[in-house]
Order: sequence, then C-alpha cells, then structure tokens
Amino acid sequence: MSTREHQPDCPRHVDVAPYVLGALEQQELESFREHLAECPHCRLELAELQSVVDELAASTPLVAAPSELSERVLQTVRSSADLLNAAGQEADRPSRFARGQRTRGFAFAGAAALVAAVAIVLAIVLGGGSSSPKERVILGQASGAAQGAQVSLHKRGGHAELLLTHMPQPGAGRIYEVWLVRGKAPSPTDALFGVSSAGSSAVDIPGTVQGVKQVLVTSEPLGGSSAPTRNPVIAVALG
Amino acid sequence: MRPPHTYSEAMPLLRRPNSREKLRTLADEELMGLVARNDAEAFEVILERHANAAFSLAYRICGTRSAAEDVAQEAFLALWRSGTHYDRARGSVRTWALGIVHNRAVDSLRRSGAHDRRRVSDEGIEETLEAPERTDAQAIEHATSHEIRRALAELPDDQRRVIELAYFGGFTHVEIAQMLDTPVGTVKGRMRLGLQKLRSQMRGTEALGA
Repeated sequence: MSTREHQPDCPRHVDVAPYVLGALEQQELESFREHLAECPHCRLELAELQSVVDELAASTPLVAAPSELSERVLQTVRSSADLLNAAGQEADRPSRFARGQRTRGFAFAGAAALVAAVAIVLAIVLGGGSSSPKERVILGQASGAAQGAQVSLHKRGGHAELLLTHMPQPGAGRIYEVWLVRGKAPSPTDALFGVSSAGSSAVDIPGTVQGVKQVLVTSEPLGGSSAPTRNPVIAVALG
Repeated sequence: MRPPHTYSEAMPLLRRPNSREKLRTLADEELMGLVARNDAEAFEVILERHANAAFSLAYRICGTRSAAEDVAQEAFLALWRSGTHYDRARGSVRTWALGIVHNRAVDSLRRSGAHDRRRVSDEGIEETLEAPERTDAQAIEHATSHEIRRALAELPDDQRRVIELAYFGGFTHVEIAQMLDTPVGTVKGRMRLGLQKLRSQMRGTEALGA
C-alpha cells in the first residue's frame, strides 16, 4: 500500500514527514509518539518515509574524516576496553534488559560488583595504587517518571558511582544518560545505561566529579544526546 | 557489498584473538556482536568503514570541520558505549550510526543558536576523496550518494528546500514556515510530497538496477 492510499485514514498523517525529518517542535513530539503507538496508518507511513530519510543521511558529498578523529576515538575506546575486559563482561556498559531482549544471565549484584571492580581498576590506574580515599554517600532525588526510585551517589575522591533501584525502564528506543552540572548548563557524559528488569543499575560516572555541583539523569534517544531533551528524572546535589 | 562470511561462519573467529584482516571480512552486524563483548579492534573496523560518511554528514549539518569532528567523535563514542543495544532488525549499522550522528549534529546546531545556523548549501564542501584514493566500498558509497543527491536535485524547488532545511539545517517546520513566509500546513505537505517522490525515484532506481 502506498502512502497516498492511506492518506485519508488519519488526520495526523501530515505530521509523519516532519517527524521523520526531525522537524516537529519539542512540545509536539511526545503527543505524536503516543499517537504513533496507537495508529497503524501513521506507523505504516513512518516506515515508508523513514527508509527515504535513512538514504538522505548517506547523500552528503563524501569528505575524508581527519585521521586525528579516528585516533582520538580509538584511544578512548582502547582504554575503555582494557578496563572493561579487566573487570569482566559489560561491567559498566548499558544493560540490554531495557529492551527486553536476551538477558545476560548476571544478577544486579554481580553487575554492581563488576562496576566496583572497574572503579578499583580506575582508582589504581588514576591514583597510582595509593591508599583509597574515604567514601562519601550522597542521597539523590527522583522525580517525574522515576518518582519512587532510590538514588545514592558513592563518591571517593574525584570518582563517583551512581546506584539506582526501583527505576522505570527508559522506554522503547530510549536510554538513560548521565549529565554533570559544573556551571549553568549540564554537560553530557558517555554514561548511557539501561536498568535491570527489577529497575536497578550501577553506573560509573566517567571522569572526575571534582567541581561538579549536580549529577542529573534524563531519558534520551538511543545513542544519547549532547543536550538534554527531557527533564531530569534523577538529581544528586554534590554541594 | 556484503562481506562473504555468514554469522555462523564467523563464530569460530570469536573464540580466538581477532586479526585485523579476519575482522575486515566480517559484516558490520557481526562486528557489532564483538563490540558488545568490548572488542576494540572490531570497533576499529566499524570506525574505518563509517568514519568518512559520519564526518561528511556532520560536516554538512554543522558547516565547520571542528564542530563536525566534535560531533562525529561524540557519536562514535556513544556508539561504542551503547553497542550492546544494536538491533539488526531495526536497520544496518551504518543507518544506526548515521542516525546518531544526525541527532548529535542537530542538537549541536540548535545549541549554537538559530542565527548561527548554517543555511543548507554545498558551497565550500568539496569532495576531498578523489577517485584514485577511494576503496571499492567508498566508490559504491560515492555512487549511491550521487544517485540520492540527483534524486533530491530533481525535486521541485519548494519540496527540496523544506526537506533540506529540516534534515540538514535542523530547523523545525514552524521555523521553516516563518523563514519562507508560508503556512505551516503547506510546509508539512511539501515535506510529505517531496519524501514520497524521493521514495518513488529510489524505487525506480532499484528496479532498474535489479
């Protein structure tokens, strides 16, 4: 069936093209996503037009990427892989539980232990194996969709780990992202995560939290965002 | 062009250290299985294959090399961090990667403010991968991107313009309506008609190529 054939079936079909091009206003997005979940006509049109937009992405004149770009990415990736492999499988990688796909067969307690192992490895790497600083536990606030979640940030020196329980799933096609607030605007981090089927997660905060006033968590599209697209559901004030 | 190995053929490779040459024979989807197991070398091959396309898209949207580098770097690190979430049923690795690049680039553009936003044009963007430097895969990429650009160029101007302003310019339909002094409904209609025509043209090309 072509898009023309099902045009009259839904008055909101006119929003599919701007949606697929990323051109809906922020306030229109949520209601249109809800509409899509209920409207087979718009979903069909979305599937048809999405394939065109996917091709548009590949239509740009080919420009050689600077070699420094790959070098910088690989440097970070190799360091991260070394740490993850030292600590075990997916120690601080996002969980697949969020998408309801095949489970990994490790319990949250095990994941937390592995993340702790990464923290220890990081402490050794960054601190040269010196005696570990005292841990400070800071309780955070949950709001919005995460109301009722329990949040604690475990800080040792400049390193911190966020422990979450009773968290809702971030939603289909979405992932949680950690943000650090030093000045006015939150800065993105590489910490993207899902939660277990029980709503738990242990998240290693990348880099240092020295000078950070607040740690925030928002739900973002898969792959994360460079600026928050939704209100924070978790906030921890470091003060 | 799909590399020759099937997933089942690739499995024995997963049990021993991966040499770069063996990794290069694997399809993207198979490499992502290794990336999910923290294999940095597999990710390096993904990066080799898609860095140019990712940078090109980021450059087209951001308009400066430095912003494009930042966006592409963020996108690839996000890809590495969320590699376990790759689902082949939802599209190719390339589509997924370019989708992340697009989102990040538009976010970056919107943060920089509407007045600084680049108006969509190919001016100043030259193809720096000259023919003798291209690999076979890059030559296919180039031919494909050329076909799509030609299809885009054949659209009526008013339809092409709204699609480019939205997708490469990062403007919302309301902003485009204001810029073009055109009703919002008309802008949405042009976007839809333009995408439908592109789809028909691309299907025609596929049919001819089949």
